[in-house]
Amino acid sequence: MSPPPRVASLGLKTVRGAGSLGLEAVRGTGALALVAARTVLGLPRLERRELVRALVQFGYDSLPLALATAALAGVIVVLQSGLYIQRFGARAFLGWAAGYGVLWEFGPLLLGLIMSARIGARNAAELATMQVGGQIEGLRGIGLDPFAILVAPRVVAMELSMLAMSTFTFLVAILFESVAALFTLGLPLRIFFGTFAQMLSPLDILGGVVKTGAFGLAISLVSTSVGLSARGGAQAVGRAAASAVVQGCAAIFVIDFLLTLALAGWMA
Amino acid sequence: MNRVLSFFGAPVVLFARTVRAGAREGVSWRECAVQLHELGGRSVWLVVSGMAFFGAVLVTIANSQARRFVGNVAVLGPAYFELLIRELGPVVSALLTASRAGAGHAAELSTMSVNEQVEALEMSAGDPYADLVAPRMVAGLLGVPLLSTLGTVAATLSAALVASLVFGVDGRAFMDPRYVDGWDLLAAGMKAVACGLYIPLAAAVAGLRARGGAEAVGQATTEGVVAASLGCLLIDFGVSLAFQLLRL
Repeated sequence: MSPPPRVASLGLKTVRGAGSLGLEAVRGTGALALVAARTVLGLPRLERRELVRALVQFGYDSLPLALATAALAGVIVVLQSGLYIQRFGARAFLGWAAGYGVLWEFGPLLLGLIMSARIGARNAAELATMQVGGQIEGLRGIGLDPFAILVAPRVVAMELSMLAMSTFTFLVAILFESVAALFTLGLPLRIFFGTFAQMLSPLDILGGVVKTGAFGLAISLVSTSVGLSARGGAQAVGRAAASAVVQGCAAIFVIDFLLTLALAGWMA
Repeated sequence: MNRVLSFFGAPVVLFARTVRAGAREGVSWRECAVQLHELGGRSVWLVVSGMAFFGAVLVTIANSQARRFVGNVAVLGPAYFELLIRELGPVVSALLTASRAGAGHAAELSTMSVNEQVEALEMSAGDPYADLVAPRMVAGLLGVPLLSTLGTVAATLSAALVASLVFGVDGRAFMDPRYVDGWDLLAAGMKAVACGLYIPLAAAVAGLRARGGAEAVGQATTEGVVAASLGCLLIDFGVSLAFQLLRL
């Protein structure tokens, strides 16, 4: 490749920047689509033992972190919405407002961000370590499909763990909300759960579960595709882990926006 | 118990050592500026676009809440704006920064530790705390409050835009600072500063502890991001609780 000209006009620089940005975006989307397609193809030959190991690692081992996040999210939502609930003189509606906030937005979003940090970074780091060490080439060399062994179990396990954890963390968050409301606002538990049960429908829970599931899928696909495309030494492993978290977070915010618009429009 | 103690204790010890080493050796301003660019300048797009999407989501939720409750999003607007200024602006921006900068710092520092570059630095009479940790801490202290200001502005603008374009409500109703007072700004500032201090510390704790090969780098990065994100939530909880108990 010839070296770029030393003096470049501003217009040329802009075009070059836009071009490389576009190429990067196309490459990322292509890698993501490839990983998704090959994962689906690898599903029938999914490695069972790896799936069980990933389920324990992603689901069971993440429980303390997920529950701590849920408890914090619940208390924070009450501390904050208590402020304006008191201002409007609508204390009795706290159960509904706080439940709605956790089910629709803060439960899925915070769980997604924390899991992207924990699972996304770890997935990318593990796969990048294997890629850098030539182990993935080794698997191909002995005739095994790395997607069926490494990627598909992770995607399936992540999806199952996120779906299982979502309702559980919502439950914990709402319990902590009711206790926080009792202690900070003096709202009896009966009134909290009264409006909660009256004004929320099962559809609201479904909204949160759908969001969490979508986040889980995004996290696992993004982190595995980032991990598999790592090249270099120890530095590449760190870079892959870091960019998996960043891209996972960006994907979560975009999906959150799209799903909120779609679900709010559909339910209205 | 041991893990809980080290989760809270290690950043405190590292902070004390860094302040002492920084006071003794002096901190290079050039390095601080470089780190500020790394942490701040390169996270701007992530924080601004993430918060813009978040603002749009917030106004959608406010709208569907308002329809059952009071009939019009314009009534809930000022309360949601206060919530955004005081709570969601600083915290969600800090979480986004934690994922970007926490992962970046932890990856960088752990790569240096596994390649024994930190020892090499010590051998050549440098101090890793003053040379590596202190500039990142200064960058966090300055960068995270600036980023959360930017993020809050982005969320407000996109919320106002979505309110006026999609829901047909006057977008300015969402930017009504009727309930915002000095205490809200103080709470937001405290959260942003505390998160800015904590994110580099958590990442440095995880990064400097790494021993081994490429595997250790990955593990340290994971630990750094998780600790930084969880710490931001804890800081948010602590500050909110303190303000609630003082009835401010």
